[in-house]
Amino acid sequence: MICLAWECTAISDFPSVIALTVEVSLTSLSATSAVTLVALVIGLLMVVVFRYTSDQKAIRVAKDHLKAHLLAVRLFQDQLPVVLSSYRKIIAGTGRYLALAFKPLLFLILPLTLVIMELDRYLGATPLQTGQAFLLTAHAVDPDSLNNLSLQLPPQMTTTAPPVHIPVDNEVVWRVIAKREGNYDVTVVAAGQILSKRAVVSSGLARLSPVRLRGEFWKRIFVSAEPALPNASPIESITLNYPSRNIYFAWTEWNWIWLFFVLSLLAGFLFKTILGVEI
Amino acid sequence: MKRCAKNKWILVAALLLLCPLSTHAYAGPGAGFAVLSSFWTLFIAFLYSLYAFLTWPFRHLVRVLRHRKAYGKAQVTRAVILGFDGMDPELADRFINQGKLPNLAKLGHKGTFRKLRTTFPPISPVAWSTFMTGVNPGKHNIYDFLARDTNTYLPFLSSAEIRGPKRTLKLGRYSLPLGKPRIKGMRHGTPFWHWLGKAGIFCSVIRVPVTFPPEKFDGVLLSGMCVPDLKGSQGTFCFCTTRKDDAKFREGGVRVLIEHNGGAYRSYIPGPDDPLGRPSELRINFEIRPVSAKRQAQITVDSEILNLNVGEYSPWIPVKFRAGLGFSAHGICRFYLKEISPEVEVYVTPVNIDPGKPDLPISHPVTYSVYLSKLFGPYATLGLAEDTWALNEEVLDDQAFLAQCYANHDDRERMLFDALEKTQQGLCACVFDTTDRVQHMFWRYLEEDHPAARNVPKDQRPRVIEDLYSRMDVLIGRVMNQIDDHTLLLVVSDHGFKSFARCVNVNAWLHLNGYLALKANKSESGDWFEDVDWSRTRAYTMGLNGLYLNLKGREREGTVPPEEAEILKQELRGKLDGLIDPSSGRAAITGVFHCNAIYAGPYADNAPDLIIGYGGGYRASWDSVLGKVTTQIFEDNLKAWSGDHCVDPRLVPGVLFCNRKIMEDKPAIVDVAPTILKLFGLAIPSYIDGKPWKVVVDTGTPTGMNVPA
Repeated sequence: MICLAWECTAISDFPSVIALTVEVSLTSLSATSAVTLVALVIGLLMVVVFRYTSDQKAIRVAKDHLKAHLLAVRLFQDQLPVVLSSYRKIIAGTGRYLALAFKPLLFLILPLTLVIMELDRYLGATPLQTGQAFLLTAHAVDPDSLNNLSLQLPPQMTTTAPPVHIPVDNEVVWRVIAKREGNYDVTVVAAGQILSKRAVVSSGLARLSPVRLRGEFWKRIFVSAEPALPNASPIESITLNYPSRNIYFAWTEWNWIWLFFVLSLLAGFLFKTILGVEI
Repeated sequence: MKRCAKNKWILVAALLLLCPLSTHAYAGPGAGFAVLSSFWTLFIAFLYSLYAFLTWPFRHLVRVLRHRKAYGKAQVTRAVILGFDGMDPELADRFINQGKLPNLAKLGHKGTFRKLRTTFPPISPVAWSTFMTGVNPGKHNIYDFLARDTNTYLPFLSSAEIRGPKRTLKLGRYSLPLGKPRIKGMRHGTPFWHWLGKAGIFCSVIRVPVTFPPEKFDGVLLSGMCVPDLKGSQGTFCFCTTRKDDAKFREGGVRVLIEHNGGAYRSYIPGPDDPLGRPSELRINFEIRPVSAKRQAQITVDSEILNLNVGEYSPWIPVKFRAGLGFSAHGICRFYLKEISPEVEVYVTPVNIDPGKPDLPISHPVTYSVYLSKLFGPYATLGLAEDTWALNEEVLDDQAFLAQCYANHDDRERMLFDALEKTQQGLCACVFDTTDRVQHMFWRYLEEDHPAARNVPKDQRPRVIEDLYSRMDVLIGRVMNQIDDHTLLLVVSDHGFKSFARCVNVNAWLHLNGYLALKANKSESGDWFEDVDWSRTRAYTMGLNGLYLNLKGREREGTVPPEEAEILKQELRGKLDGLIDPSSGRAAITGVFHCNAIYAGPYADNAPDLIIGYGGGYRASWDSVLGKVTTQIFEDNLKAWSGDHCVDPRLVPGVLFCNRKIMEDKPAIVDVAPTILKLFGLAIPSYIDGKPWKVVVDTGTPTGMNVPA
């Protein structure tokens, strides 16, 4: 268990390490350039890792067999038993091919997931804009705590409406506006505890954390970029609704993950051809 | 502890994989490639299925309308023809009697074992052309591997003509080809599988000789003998060596010097001519790094790194000859590490057309060769894939040659069994060349006193041919196990075999007897009649059995008036028939056949004027075949190529085995096509020369009983 606990800490730290490395370069780029650059680099790395973690010969044979069975369907199309047998072999061959691709996938999935999680913090949403209202939501453990919550804002921010209490969801929502760009800590005071949440007001790329959570290691790994709230805190989460980001590319708007997916695949196919890797 | 940590990482990775959170969108390129490729495969399969499903009623209707006779009157629903090129009936009989060929014995006992009369001359391209078309050479136009150009007296390949593209674009020093090479089949006549296909009977035809270029029909076909290599030749091996030797190989190979450079040796494989019109040939460089202590070498060619032991072949290696401007030629070849110390020697097979990326069509449809390549890996596509020249020139030894033969043979077996699986109804025909090549090269060990084996003690002579027949018998056994009682199995060979111990140079005889003249002060000619004085020459031989008159109006410098041709033919027949070898007192020529007596058809004019039938133990000399006039008429054959069949056709019938009784005393190879058509219930075209055999099918009634003679 000790081993596992250490490894989990390492995992939670890993994004921060990456963040330090990529922050400087990413924040100086536009979102489109950043996605393109990252997709190219990731595409190349994935191809190289795939090359050295997969059974290249077996993959080549499996793919060749699949092609052969596909051709058999066409060549012997009037012979039903042959066609049916070829379909059976295509399905079996696809399974065999996927099984061969699974091993490199095991090597790739963990670092790739962590990298993409971190990239999502830069590219998944846009920072707050000056003069743009946003909602700050505190989710309490029980409805009784709601009346004891208060919000403390830095001087560059101000509320634009009274807080809204939603007892059925154990939530209090504040409508806030920022007057100047910068990284700020907004503070929620609950039962004497001071709990802060980072708010980023910027016109460029920035590392964003839309939520700060209590406990829940796995959930934090995927959605939060801030330390956990204290376990004894009456607040379960503080959420800030950063606007989601759409990237304009090739005459259309993309969610960054889809654009990354397409570009990294294209890069992968390009590099696999150049490097002669069977995928 | 390490294992514990590893397991935990796997656990974490598995959790991440299975976690039903937003990670599913984070699959990224790693999983994406695999999933997309698989999806693509299944999508294509689905599209095919949809297409097949939607079009099936129409295709079925068309089939019913067009091929309503398919199987309607058929006596069999499936016929399997195994062609064993050169299988000899006398040897087969001998080995059967010795109990070494149980499956052939079973076929002979329950069905049929006969000698199969062959063609004039008994040469593979001639005989297999007759086999598939059912006509004599006068109707299919194949008389030898080579035919002669009456204008130049030079030979050309008789079966196919390959020329460059029709148009080219001149750009400075480049000449860009606009289009594909033009390939013209020279064999005429219609193979019987075309008639079957037309009637809706599916056919799989594998490596039947003289099927290049492949013709369209309703079935699949992989071309056989006469498919060229990437250089356009019938097989040019490459022998790379550090040993300095200016001697050229007589034919079939080139010697390339290996250069020593530091710890590595460098050489190259010569490829095809530059398609951009530059005067050089394309090349592929490769590097050899010997590891003397292990008797190994590492060979690097393109991106492939091969580690070979001395005496070991590489698998087929894809090679790409790049011409620039995006032009390239795709081939495959095998490397054989012959020696690494004190000299470095590497043999490279002729560069075969890559069946997975064929630059020339070698199958019908084109995708069939690709299909086989994807299913079984690269395979030999060259017509004469077994490199007999390399053994003849002592570049390969017996073992290396046999290894090459049987590797090709194993590929062919895989193709056959796949075709059997895919052709549950219809025709499956496959020709195996190993029988021919191995007998050509190892007949010397079968005889007591063959000149080519005199230095090998009798007790050290391997039983190669016996093993060969046993292997074929095992193959037949496997096929018999695969087929049901309703399938007709025919095992045929195009000709038999005889010893080739003595060479006869008929050109020398013609010269010495005043029919062929050399230029002044010349006692011998060069290859291809160099220094022959055509203005005084009346007859010459070219190729293996053909003798031509230098006919006025036909040959460029013809001297024999047409009205004297018949007299001259009779004169030559009279003198050559029964020509005695003075060293043995035996007849070196046992028959000289007049073309009018053996050929009839629209292409009979292209035939040799006389066909020479050599006696057992004799064949046209190596020089004579190449159009060289020497001073000696007779000489010993010292080459490994020690058995042959280019003799008197009456001496070398082929074999006919069948799992049915065939009521025919003197079956001939020309009868196979009409017999198959008859068995499938199709009408036999009137121009066909062969006669269908009376075959006893399941009912016990010979199928051909009602066929008019």
